[in-house]
Order: sequence, then C-alpha cells, then structure tokens
Amino acid sequence: MTTPAPAHETDAERRHEHRFQVSESIARLVMRTTANNLPLSRDDRPYQWSTTTYCDTVAWSIFRAAEKGSAMQLRIREYHRTRPREVLNPGTAWIEFKDDEQDTSLKERFGVSMEVARSFLRGDTTLPEDHGLAERASLLLRDGARPVAVTQYNRLAYNSLDSSLRITADHNLMYFALPWETRDDGDTEPSPLGSLLAMEPDVIVEMKWYGELPHWAVDLHAYLKESTREERPSKFIVAMRWLLGETDGTKKPKKK
Amino acid sequence: MKAIEEAVRSDAPATRVVVVEDDQASADVLQRRLQANGMVVSVAHDGRRGIELVEELLPDLVLLDVMLPDTDGYDVCLRIKSNTATSPIPVIFLSARGEVVDKVRGLSCGAADYITKPFQAAELLARIDAVLGQARNPRVPRLGRPIERAPGERLVARVAIADPALREHVQQLLASRFDLADADETPDVVIVEGSAAVPADVAEDVAVIRVSAGRAGSDGTEMIPVDAQLPRIVDLLVRERSLDHDLQAAAEALIVLASAIGSHDRPSAGHGERVASRAVQIGRALGLDDSTRMTIRLGALLRDVGNARLPAAILTKSGELSPEERAMLERHPILGEEILSGFKRLSGLLPIVRHHHERLDGTGYPDALRAEQIPLEVRIVSVADRFEALLSDRADRPAVSEAEAVRILQSAVARGELDAAVVAALATQVRAGGAR
Repeated sequence: MTTPAPAHETDAERRHEHRFQVSESIARLVMRTTANNLPLSRDDRPYQWSTTTYCDTVAWSIFRAAEKGSAMQLRIREYHRTRPREVLNPGTAWIEFKDDEQDTSLKERFGVSMEVARSFLRGDTTLPEDHGLAERASLLLRDGARPVAVTQYNRLAYNSLDSSLRITADHNLMYFALPWETRDDGDTEPSPLGSLLAMEPDVIVEMKWYGELPHWAVDLHAYLKESTREERPSKFIVAMRWLLGETDGTKKPKKK
Repeated sequence: MKAIEEAVRSDAPATRVVVVEDDQASADVLQRRLQANGMVVSVAHDGRRGIELVEELLPDLVLLDVMLPDTDGYDVCLRIKSNTATSPIPVIFLSARGEVVDKVRGLSCGAADYITKPFQAAELLARIDAVLGQARNPRVPRLGRPIERAPGERLVARVAIADPALREHVQQLLASRFDLADADETPDVVIVEGSAAVPADVAEDVAVIRVSAGRAGSDGTEMIPVDAQLPRIVDLLVRERSLDHDLQAAAEALIVLASAIGSHDRPSAGHGERVASRAVQIGRALGLDDSTRMTIRLGALLRDVGNARLPAAILTKSGELSPEERAMLERHPILGEEILSGFKRLSGLLPIVRHHHERLDGTGYPDALRAEQIPLEVRIVSVADRFEALLSDRADRPAVSEAEAVRILQSAVARGELDAAVVAALATQVRAGGAR
C-alpha cells in the first residue's frame, strides 16, 4: 500500500551540519546574536518539546554504521506543548530519514498520522521515493529495525527566510530507553518511555546551512568552535552509547 | 532524615511542601509563611538535596528556585517529572528570572506554575491553593498488555435448554453478567433444565448448573430457580468452583516445585526468590502495573518448575554436559509449561515459564523466538535470572559484583540477546544502589 503523505519536506542537496555542546551562558549569547539576524522559525513553537524515537535492529546495525561515520537514521518525530511520558502518540508524526556523513547531512521527512507511521514501521506502508532514503529505510525495517531509543528536548529555532541557514538550541536534552515492541502490542496505544538513560547538562547548538555562510554567521561559527566543550556526535549516537552502556558520561566511549 | 519523614507522616492532613531555595534568608521567610498557613515544610539548599527530599518525602508540592548552586531548577524539575514515583507532584517555580523565555521553559519542563520574585505572599498562597486543587490523581501508566485474564472479564455461559421460551428467558437474565457462547465457543458454565442430560460435547471440567422454572426436581438434585437472582447465583457458583479447582491445582504445583528445589537444586536455594524480587523491581521501573508485576513474580518463581521432571544427575552435574544431556536440560521450559498448563488461573505465567531462555536474536530455546515474539514480561525475567546468577558463585566461575554483572549483561545486549531497555532499567537501579 502506498499512502500519499500530506506533508513532505526534503533537503534539496546535502547541507553542512555542525553541532556544538556549550554552556547555558554561551548559548544565551549565541541565540541573542542569532535573534538579531534571523527570524524565529515559523514552524517551530519556541521551547516546544521535540520527541524523537530512533529505530535500530537487534544487531545494532544502524548504530554500528553511524559510529563508523556514515549511516542513515530512521526516526519518528513528534511535537508537544508539554513533555509526554509516552511516544508514538495519536496525532501528527514525522517519519524522518537522515543520511549523516562526516560534515554534511541529507534529510527527508513525511508528515503523516501516527496510524500511518505505525503502519510504515510494520512494513505495511511505503512512502514516495525521492533521494532513495525511503527505500533504504524499508530495507532496514525488513531487516528488523524497530524503535529502541528516544530523545526529548526543548528547541529554540531560527531560520533564514530562504531556509539556507538554520540555527537551533536544544535545552533539557534527555535520553530514554524504549522496550522492544511485541507483536501483540496494541496498534494505537502509545508506548511508555523506558528508563531515563541520561540528561545533558549543557545546551546543544546546531548550525545547518547550504553554500556560503553570511559574515556574522562565520564569526558566530568561529566563536562556537572556540567555546564548545567537545566534538559533538549526533543525538542518535549519544543515545545509543548510553543505551548499550558504551559510555559513562565522559567524553570518549569506554574501550572494549 | 527519618525524623523528618516521621514528623511529616504523623501529620497526614497538613499539606507537605518541599522548598528548594539556595538563599537561606529567602528560604526562612518562605518556610515561616507556609508554616503559618498550616503547611509542613522541608527545605533544601541545592538541587541534589532537593531531589533527595522529594523522593524521600513524596510531598504534595515542590516550590523550586531556578538558579541553584549545583544545577538549575529546570534540571531538578525534569528529574522529578521523569521519576514514576514523583512525577505526579506539582512543581511551582519561584524565580527572579522573569523573561518570557524563562517562564515558557519552566512551564514546558512540567511545572504547574511560574511565579516571578519578588512576589506577594497572598498571591503565592492563592496560586498554591489553585495548583493543589487542580492536581490530578496520579495517572495509571499504560502498561504492557496483561497476559492473564483480567479480573473483571465476563464469563461465558451456554444455555442448553430445549424449551425455546424458557431458553430465551434464561438467556435474557444471564446477559447482564455473562457473554453467551457461540456454537464453537467453550463456555465456563452450561445451564440445563431440571434433570435433563448434559450435552455430549460439554467437557468434563465445565461447570454445569441445573435450573428450575417453578418445578422442583423430582430426584433430589439441587435446582436454582429461574428468577432475577439467577445471574448472581450462577456467577458465584462458577467462580467458587473455579477457585476450588485452582487451589487444588496450585497445591499440586507447589508440591512439585518444592520437590524440585529440595531434591535437585539445593545449591541455588533462594535464587528463585531473588530473581522474582529483581524482576518485580525492573517491572516497577518500567511502569508496569500491580497485576503484571504479580504475573512476573509468580512466573519468575515457577520458571524452572520443569526441572522437577529432569533426572537429578543432570541438574547436579558439575562437569560439561553431553549434547544429549544439554538437549534434555533445554526441555525444562516445555516440561514446566506442561506441569502448569492444567491450571487455568496460572495460564498467564506460561509464556514466562516456556520462553525465559529465548533471546532477541533468535538463538535461544526452546522455540528460537525472535525479539517481537517475546513478551516484555518474559524479557524482564530473563534479565533478572541472568543478573542474579552472575552474583552467585558457580562451579565454573566465581561471583561478580553488581556493576560487573551489569557490564556483562550490556555485552549480551550488544550481541542482540537481551532487551536493551530492560537492562537499562536494571543498570539504573544498580547505579542508584538498589530499588527503593
């Protein structure tokens, strides 16, 4: 069954994506500068809760590939005014595919009802092809990928009018485990979050852009590089390291 | 600490408030004001202590400053709201930060209100009253679907009466409490008239109740009159019969279990109880309800009951098992299911008994089930079983610490054997120093 998606957003091409982990005070300065140059994103209510449910297989093939520097994330995103204690809630869901490489990313997403999103996860619904990401996602699902980890955070987002530059600050970032779903789980019942794996003490600032950065953003980028506490892997990688006990909260994963 | 707890609990009608405020003078003023209004107040001066107090006292309300010496109030609020035990407690922020973004952020962290300093005491008290008035009862979390029959589920009745008018009348009476059986459905009870013969296709263990429409039984058989009381009486009789049956069956099961532990598995005495206790703790951390946790507990206790049917020599052998012996040992989940399958009220335990050695990657036994085929209750017992086993000395290896046992289980997660979320819940407990 192919279901037309009511909303479809995709990057026109690979875009630069840099993440920085900074203190609250640095983040305030950065976002103040950003607010002087970019409007608030029209699509993101300030400080709304973003809940992202990540999928992987029992062999953790998506995570292992991500650790090697290239992988496609398969995730379901929801937005709520207050923080939900469950995921895959009724309402609008965004099925997102994100192809991460060292310095760039390519993202495609479909806004659908949660019913359709669940159907897609079960392999009963296919999505229109664009960059081939949906087909890759379907292969992962056929290989047994299911929801395994969740992040929740408050996002403040600024977007240029032509969407060539987007700067976000994520506060209160939390990582949760999600028990493996069983075949007889109700199709429409939300899934309760599992244990809280970790909370991020800092703020995650992300810059995403096409082409050249404007001068003020070049300066801001340099300031963030100087001020950042560490190289920042993706939220997916951090969540999975916590989930699998491969980090104890320090900078580097534990050696095996 | 205990004194505070006892003092607070001895004054049950009072509103119990935890104030988290780093400024001593502000905290004192606030404490006196609240106490003057009949509240019992405990004060913490940093976030860590604040969380400890909230978890220990489970107060009616938390008043929380945003700027704290060790962390910020948002972090404290999120931790309160992320703990199943403390999440229903309303939180009010008290802060000098009055920008809109601060208020939005505080409220989005789950706070019930955000009050900017300086504030008038009357306003604070009014807002506290409003928040306490609106505080909902703790919402029962959605839990894993229970795998045993729900207590309130309706019984199924079949009315085997030849007289059409009387049959319809009895069916109408019973419909208030019973589902009426379809032709191919197995009923819990069969209703027949007087001394009429029981239909040949009714199994021996199904309850049969004889009713009388005003005509007394001629052979002394006990008859239930067909009137408005019929549904209640039939319901009671069926449940009493079922209980008697289950009690008898449970007694037999316990005898088998005691025999298994006593004669074959003496070195592991106490292991079953520890596994059950640990599994229940994990279930609680994952938000499972009382009924499901009870299923987990009983399932964990009886998971190895099948060992009773294995030769003692296999269970007590210290060296490596031969392939034949290994195959025999791996039949114990099937044997356990056979032992318990006759007990209707224990049917919810059967998946745990049969599948507690299955693995998510399909390499377990006896059915080589894969991840989505293994119920959550089973995955919890599997993790608890392996964890507790690692804490005990065995012939082939010494006991390990709890932290090391968690690391070993995380390696099993990485290999695709165990549910990562279940092991994560266990790891959280171990880090916290055990279940509270």
